Amino acid sequence: MAFKVSSAVTGDVVSLTLAGELDATSAPTFKTEIDKAVGQTPHSLVVQVKDLTFMASAGLRVLIYAKQKLGSRVALYVVAPQETILSTLRMTGFDKSVYIVDQWPPMETDARRPA
Amino acid sequence: MIERSFQTLPGTLEAVARLRDSVEKRADAAGLSRKAIYNLCLAVDEIATNVVLHGYQEAGRTGPLRVATGLDDEGFTVILEDEGAPFDATRHALPSAEDLARPLEERTVGGLGILLALRGVDALQYESAPGVNRHIFVVKRPPPDA
Repeated sequence: MAFKVSSAVTGDVVSLTLAGELDATSAPTFKTEIDKAVGQTPHSLVVQVKDLTFMASAGLRVLIYAKQKLGSRVALYVVAPQETILSTLRMTGFDKSVYIVDQWPPMETDARRPA
Repeated sequence: MIERSFQTLPGTLEAVARLRDSVEKRADAAGLSRKAIYNLCLAVDEIATNVVLHGYQEAGRTGPLRVATGLDDEGFTVILEDEGAPFDATRHALPSAEDLARPLEERTVGGLGILLALRGVDALQYESAPGVNRHIFVVKRPPPDA
């Protein structure tokens, strides 16, 4: 399925919703949206991925780029990853730097700092 | 047995999604689990992407991506051939456990794709002969009653 990304701003939270397949071809589209989000100097960046069915390392590199652009004080959330994508995030240690939550806004018990 | 009939796609990034679809259909027909299929497709994607970027584009070359698959007692095998500059993913430097424990702010971006490729299958082999490079991905058959 083709990759799609949409964005929304609520207060100081920027939300990006990804769907389809995030690979080396579609990663530049995601990166463009990250650049726009960074320009809005959000307090938190929320990436909704419930309908993301595939994520290659090109997608991971955009998340690294996002975190490096935003700085460590801006929280990066990844919401509702499918099991396969969650497994990639864990294997590569991304779960230590981003908040992985089941829903947005997160439940109280969900909103723990990354390990 | 490996079917010797190769499907040929152009060696471009745009073709990599079609390559994934093709591998997914064949692996599904061979009865692999959803998780095994996803991880195999991820491995093939990462290697094919590297072949296109480094073996072809960086080297100023063009050429095909050829794929064949097969099922035998050992498991399911994907053969990916290209005619680019030799690129041996199995000898690429991988991020260390220490690298993977670093916050993203302090990361360098190298090696993640190869890591996903190696972890996505039970075996990844590389062969290079004049004019052709070959990556071979093997997903072993799960033991009975697993």
